[in-house]
Amino acid sequence: MKNKNTISVILPIKSAVAGFFEEYLNKAIESIKVQKEKFDELIIVHTDESLLTKILGEFDFGDLNVKLESWSKEPNFADQVNHGVNVSTSEWISIFEFDDEYANIWVKNVKKYIDTYPNTGAFLPIVVDVDDKGVFVGFTNEASFASNISEEMGILTNETLHSYQNFQISGMVIKKDIFIEYGMIKSNFKLTFGYEFLLRMTQNSVKFITIPRIGYKHSNLREGSIFWNYKNGENRLTEDEVKFWIDSAKKEYFFNVQREINYEPQEI
Amino acid sequence: MNEEQITKLERSIQNMKDKSSRIYFVVQDTKGNAKASIKYIYQMAMALKSDGYNPIILHEKPDYFGVSDWLGEKYMTDLTHKSIEGNNLEISPDDLIIIPEIFGFVMDQITKLPCGKIVLCQAYDHIFETLQPGQTWSQLGFNKCIITSEKQKEYVNSVMRNMSFSIIEPVISEVFEKQELPPKTIISIHTREHRDTVNLIKTFYSKFPQYRWITFRDMRGLSEVEFANAMKESFVSVWVDPTSGFGTFPLESMKMGIPVIGLTPNLVPEWMNEDNGIWINNVNMLPDVIADVIQNWLEDNLNPELYNEMEKTITKYTDVTNFNDVVIKIFSEMINNRLKNFEDQLSKFITTE
Repeated sequence: MKNKNTISVILPIKSAVAGFFEEYLNKAIESIKVQKEKFDELIIVHTDESLLTKILGEFDFGDLNVKLESWSKEPNFADQVNHGVNVSTSEWISIFEFDDEYANIWVKNVKKYIDTYPNTGAFLPIVVDVDDKGVFVGFTNEASFASNISEEMGILTNETLHSYQNFQISGMVIKKDIFIEYGMIKSNFKLTFGYEFLLRMTQNSVKFITIPRIGYKHSNLREGSIFWNYKNGENRLTEDEVKFWIDSAKKEYFFNVQREINYEPQEI
Repeated sequence: MNEEQITKLERSIQNMKDKSSRIYFVVQDTKGNAKASIKYIYQMAMALKSDGYNPIILHEKPDYFGVSDWLGEKYMTDLTHKSIEGNNLEISPDDLIIIPEIFGFVMDQITKLPCGKIVLCQAYDHIFETLQPGQTWSQLGFNKCIITSEKQKEYVNSVMRNMSFSIIEPVISEVFEKQELPPKTIISIHTREHRDTVNLIKTFYSKFPQYRWITFRDMRGLSEVEFANAMKESFVSVWVDPTSGFGTFPLESMKMGIPVIGLTPNLVPEWMNEDNGIWINNVNMLPDVIADVIQNWLEDNLNPELYNEMEKTITKYTDVTNFNDVVIKIFSEMINNRLKNFEDQLSKFITTE
């Protein structure tokens, strides 16, 4: 039996080799520590990379309830998140990234909204995107309030996602049962795994409310991050591949189970 | 004084004693648009009606639109309505006629009527609009004025000499209840001129495109209930009315627990202080201030003291019973003074006889 209104943070980490890793991680963990209302659990699903294991082993987490989950399989953001969710003990889970920060009002607001809207399956924060120097780039998830995009203010629907794709799942707080029941995050997706996830959940009538508060700070295209690699890395995606993954998300969200999917050049 | 005049005087005295004297309230036809000043008149009339007086709403033309749509059906059905045009209005010396400041030309037309005449001043900037240069209310036979605040009284007293004033502060309706659900990303806006609303919104979005997902809701032309429901969803309201005589909109907003960003009016309302709202003096700064407030609200960073001060401010303007009592007290005093005057006249005549 999971404790009511408890929230576990799931933090997947692949490597500590990235620039300024410890600096980012310090800020990220600090943002959990300083919440006005506390998270109940922090589950770090980390690879066996020796530097990473060492840093985490010596890290001062203060009085946070931390579980270090070693991930010895192929590093994969989605698989690591899914594993963390499976071992979590809370009613709700929140996906976190080591180069991001929660706003200290996030848990407080989520709990308030859980009480006010008990039939809601997930809550999204307004995300502030910053560049590697911490300079404001823009907001994400805010479009669920835009009258020309959203049908009902603050509610993210499947229709909205079809007309606008810039929503993100990091920082989101979602019911663990729902997350698992409707198929978790598909690990065979590149680039659009979050988009496919949101399409699938809303297709399954999971109610998503965006809380009109800044709840999360996201480092946009940090060098070495997943999305930076998709854009700039050795295996960067071509325009055609980007289109393929967007189209695939729109096809695959009807299926709760992960199906085999392989990129094939689309343009003739 | 002949016998007929004595009989009339006795009848007037009796009418005043049994409260059947007519109290005419002249109203503007807003064609179905909500207007705080009209609501105030209907609220006064209703208070008098509930105490057994005989208030009558007097509109200019027979095709009066009425207030059912925005104020409520009961105000139309419970109160007697009469048209000035196409109607031989009965007016006796014991009757009262209350005319809003905007109707200077009507005051001019009824100078010779024998009834009691009172100006109702809610918007000081309208008082000279339909008067001739140099003309004053007292020259038209109006020596009493009902006014909504001490501040307005001070100003109007300085430009309209030989008047006596009674203050009846407006009351904020019960429909403006505290928000139960968390607000949405909506800003309720009310400006005196519609073009100011449009200009402000366009300027804001142009200057702060990152906030284009914040919705402005123009509060013009809504019924009272629609207005309250619409405002209830807002996290902040914006008020621009430099010539406001009282400021009903910000008080309604405060009553719902919604902070107000406002341009300080030329006549600073008594209820306004530096802690109960975000008040600025330069209208061009509004977009910047709105952006700052949005940012702070998104970060849960609005000062809790602001909400406490709003609560304190509004307490004075929410007591409907007190409003009704004040209305009844002021009108009964006016009527009793007239009654005494009439009785004095009669007694002098009888003594002389």
